[in-house]
Order: sequence, then structure tokens, then C-alpha cells
Amino acid sequence: MAAEKKVILVTGGSGLVGKGLQHVVEQDKRADETWVFLSSKEADLTKQDETQAIFEKHRPTHVIHLAAKVGGLYKNLNSNLDFFRDNMAINDNVLNTSYKTGVRKVISCLSTCIFPDKTTFPVDETMIHNGAPHQSNYGYAYAKRMLDVQSRAYHAQHGRNFTSVVPTNVYGPHDNFNLEDGHVLPGLMHKVYMAKKEGSPLTVWGTGKPLRQFIFSRDLAKLIIWVMREYEEADPIILSVGEEDEVTVKDAALAVAEAMNFKGEVIFDTTKSDGQTKKTASIVKLRRYLPNFKFTPMKEGT
Amino acid sequence: MAAEKKVILVTGGSGLVGKGLQHVVEQDKRADETWVFLSSKEANLTSLEDTRAVFAKYKPTHVIHLAAMVGGLYRNLKYNLDFFRNNSAINDNVLSTSHETGVKKVVSSLSTCIFPNKTTYPIDETMIHNGPPHSSNFGYSHAKRMIDVLNQGYHTQHGCNFTSVIPTNVYGAFDNYNLEDGHVLPGLIHKVYMAKKEGTPLTVWGTGKPLRQFIYSHDLARLMIWVMRDYNEISPIILSVGEEEEVSIKEAAMAVVEAMDFKGEVIFDTTRADGQIKKTASNAKLRRYLPDFKFTPMKEAIKESCDWFVANYDTCRK
Repeated sequence: MAAEKKVILVTGGSGLVGKGLQHVVEQDKRADETWVFLSSKEADLTKQDETQAIFEKHRPTHVIHLAAKVGGLYKNLNSNLDFFRDNMAINDNVLNTSYKTGVRKVISCLSTCIFPDKTTFPVDETMIHNGAPHQSNYGYAYAKRMLDVQSRAYHAQHGRNFTSVVPTNVYGPHDNFNLEDGHVLPGLMHKVYMAKKEGSPLTVWGTGKPLRQFIFSRDLAKLIIWVMREYEEADPIILSVGEEDEVTVKDAALAVAEAMNFKGEVIFDTTKSDGQTKKTASIVKLRRYLPNFKFTPMKEGT
Repeated sequence: MAAEKKVILVTGGSGLVGKGLQHVVEQDKRADETWVFLSSKEANLTSLEDTRAVFAKYKPTHVIHLAAMVGGLYRNLKYNLDFFRNNSAINDNVLSTSHETGVKKVVSSLSTCIFPNKTTYPIDETMIHNGPPHSSNFGYSHAKRMIDVLNQGYHTQHGCNFTSVIPTNVYGAFDNYNLEDGHVLPGLIHKVYMAKKEGTPLTVWGTGKPLRQFIYSHDLARLMIWVMRDYNEISPIILSVGEEEEVSIKEAAMAVVEAMDFKGEVIFDTTRADGQIKKTASNAKLRRYLPDFKFTPMKEAIKESCDWFVANYDTCRK
């Protein structure tokens, strides 16, 4: 294929995954690729005219669509309607503007938290719509599921190469380390830092028993770039370490403690809820495409 | 409860179900109810501006939301994206404008075709999201399902009383009798008319074995009005005859043949697809609320529908 110039617009480009992409792209500059990292300061993607304006300004040929209204458990619980409507607006504006301006490929970002609440494990790409999502964030979850519906519909009706990826738990620099709103690994890093500083024990919420697959943001970035360059299906693809690399929250906590040289006590506050016990996702599809992809060892990543 | 004045706006008011509502409302006029039947000529509900304008004009206190982009199998197959986007826009505009203007209740219309393709029977209201819909109309189906998601969201976040109903196969006067785009009963009525006129056999597509629950538009209208006045759940409710009233396409064809006094041969073209073999829906929830509701006997309702078609052949939708 001729190396036609690509202009890749990354919406939500200043977040955890966006920064991971920036890092990887710096290390692997290609002459035919111009990368544009968008932040919400530059355009409010819930507005059709602002989305249109930003596409006219940058004229992307490819879009990696990471922008979303996101939040922790409590924010979701109280605002499911807004999470649904705002994300539906953002997604429709980005996909429709991409379609109208002839963007060749759009890769949208889903999440394992949108899968059915009642399910068998491991979850795989065919199971996304097999039941209602968890009640706490159904607004966010359904809006993300509709990204898959729309991607496949743009493909069926217009032959567009719109698709989506499903990462598991991402971690890395530039994360959201807020203890209320953030996710488990950045939360642990922040807590260990505070515990060291204050000479107090590290208190991990829950029993430490739930299992998670953690993917380093830079590994995720490499995989998203591979999807952008080579993956041709409209159906989603899970991007994660394998089932065998699932770790407990306790092991994750100890990995962080070791990485930060924390010598104090580690306590498990079992009055706090554990969340889902497992969310095991299958990467059989990814491994069919990339049997040799090497993930950054977790010790190194943390 | 004091009889506060109600202004009930019916979107999609000129279609099959809208006309059924008009008929029932004429027979049961209430002093405290003003009914407004909207058609797409008056407002393009995919436009937020148009939607707001029409709400400002009529100031509804209640909305029965029937308007949608609809079509038969082939149109859905070709335009899944448009079916998804246009219906999502219509639904979001109607519900958000209802919320903004303080509408007390919205009753939206879903459909049994949005249920999971792979499922056990009978289907009930709790099963809507339990699997992907049939691939032929996934755009339409997902957009309809999101009405239920929006209803829950508006209720939890704003205390709105937005709900939905799920009819099975509706039939009656003012249907779409187009043989490509329309549904099975109006299609049969149109075909028997043509067969009589041209002295040819009646050819029914498929084996005639698939089973359906048919609900007369006047019965559906009476039930929707009950939902609008008295049903207070946010979760959807199936509006249909019971499972025991399920009939085969062959039986439906013979009922039309009898009503229209057709004496010719009836052939089944088994090279044509049957569609789903069954879509059996449970009306247990409806029966808990209305154990004594009487549906119009199918023979009578089909006769009325056929008579209407013959009398209105020149002007009806085909």
C-alpha cells in the first residue's frame, strides 16, 4: 500500500491513554504520519458545530476516539442520564463528522465495565450485548455499547472502516490519581505515597481478593496504533494481557509497595466493597493476530 | 385526584396506532382531555428546534410517542445506520423536550421485533436487553431499546414519569398496505383484494406455519390510553392478546379469505422466507393489572379492517 499521508486526530488526547500514545509515537516517528492530540479545552465534542470546526481545522484522515465523559462510582450512580446523553452526543458528533469529512478509519474506545453484569467468564468480544450492564453505570455503559452499534452500522451502510477496542484496567503516567474518582492502581500509588509521607500504614479498600488484568498504557498505545494501521474488522477487539496474567488487588498493592519502597504495614479494610470479583477477558482474538506481542512486565510498568 | 386539564400530544399521530387512538378517543370524550395528533408534515422530530417549536405551540401535559422511522425488511437491511441515528435523534428530542417543558408523562412505543434474536419463549418485559437483536434491523432495534434506558435515566435523575409499551403485531384501518414494506396482515388483505379482482389464486409467502399474536389497533389504543392514565411503572409493559391466542399465518390468511369472501385457491410459496417461527410474548403483566380486559374477537376485527380497506382502496397507503 502506498504511504499516503495520514493525519491522526486523537480525541481525549490529554488523558491516560492519549499520553501513552504520545509517548509511543515519539519513539516511533513515521514520515507519513502527523499526530494531533486534542483536549476538551480545544473543543466541546458534545456540540456538533465545535466538532465540525475542529475537523475542518485539522482535516484528519484517521481518528482515535478516546474522549468521553467518565467518572468514578459515585458520580455515575447519580447521573446515569447525563453520562448516557453526553457520551451519545460526543460519539455521534465524532463518528458522523468523521463520516461526512471522509475520514478513512475511526477507532473508538470501549471498556470492560460495559459488559453484561451477569455473565460467564472469560468475557469475549461477542458478548457485549448479552445482558444488562451493572446498574451503577448503565448510562455510561449503554452509550459505549452504542459506539459498537454505530461502528458496525457505518460499515454496513457506507462501507466505512469504523471499529472499536476494549481495554481492561489501564494504568500509567498521567492517570487520574484522585482517591474518590480514580481507578484501583493509581489509587494505590497515591495511597502508598501518602502512607510513606505520613508514616502511616497502607490501607487497601476491600479484601484484596478481586482479580484484574492490568495493561500498561504504553502497551495499550502500541496495540491501538497497530489497530489503526492494520486491523480491518468492524467488530471490536479486546486489548489486554492474557487470563494467566490476572492478578489480585492484593498482589497489585504489594507490587506498588515494592516499587515505591514502602516499608510500612499493609492493612485490608474489609468494610469497603470489593467491586466485581472478576472481569476476566479473553485475548484469544488479539493473540490470533499478534501471537508474539510482548507486554511490559507489571513490575516494570508500576 | 382533581381533574386537571390534560393536553395529550400524540407524535406519529397519523399512522396505524395514531388513527386507532383517534377512533377510541372520539367514542370516549372526556372534558378534561384535549388530544393533539401530530404528523411528520407538521414537525420534523429529528430536529431539536422543530420539536421544541411544536411543544411550545401545543404545551402538552402528556405525550404518547409513536413517531419513528420505520420500514420493512429490505429497507432496514440497507439503512441500519439511518434507522439508528434518526430514531435516536427523534427519541432524544421528544424526551428531552418533554423533560424541559414539564410534561407529566410520556408513553413511548417499543416493538417485539427489538427483543434478543436468540431467546426462550414466551418473552417478557425483563428480557429486552438480554442479547443482540436480529441482525437485519439492529439499528432500529437498538434505538428503540435506548428509549427504555432513557426512561430509567430520566426517572432516577429527575423523577420523570416516562414509560413504554410493547405491542405485538398490530393491524387495523389506516395501515401500510404496501406489499414490499408493510406487515403480514395488511399484506394479506391487499393480496386477497388483488386476487379477487384479477381472478387469480392467493399466494401466501412462506409455509404459513409461523405463529403470531395479533392485536387490533382499537384494542391497543384502549390499552395505551389506560397506560397513559393509570400505569405508573417506568419499566415497559407488553400489550397483546395472550399466548393462547397465537395464530399461524395460515389461520390469519384464512380469516382474511373468509372476511373478504374469496373463493379462489390459496397457495403457499415455500420458496419465500418465513421470518421468525415464533415471537411469543407473555401478557401476564397486563393481566395482573387488567384481568377482565376483553379483546375484540379476531374474526370481527379482521372483518372491520378488510371492509375499511375495500372502502378506502384508492386513498390508503400502498
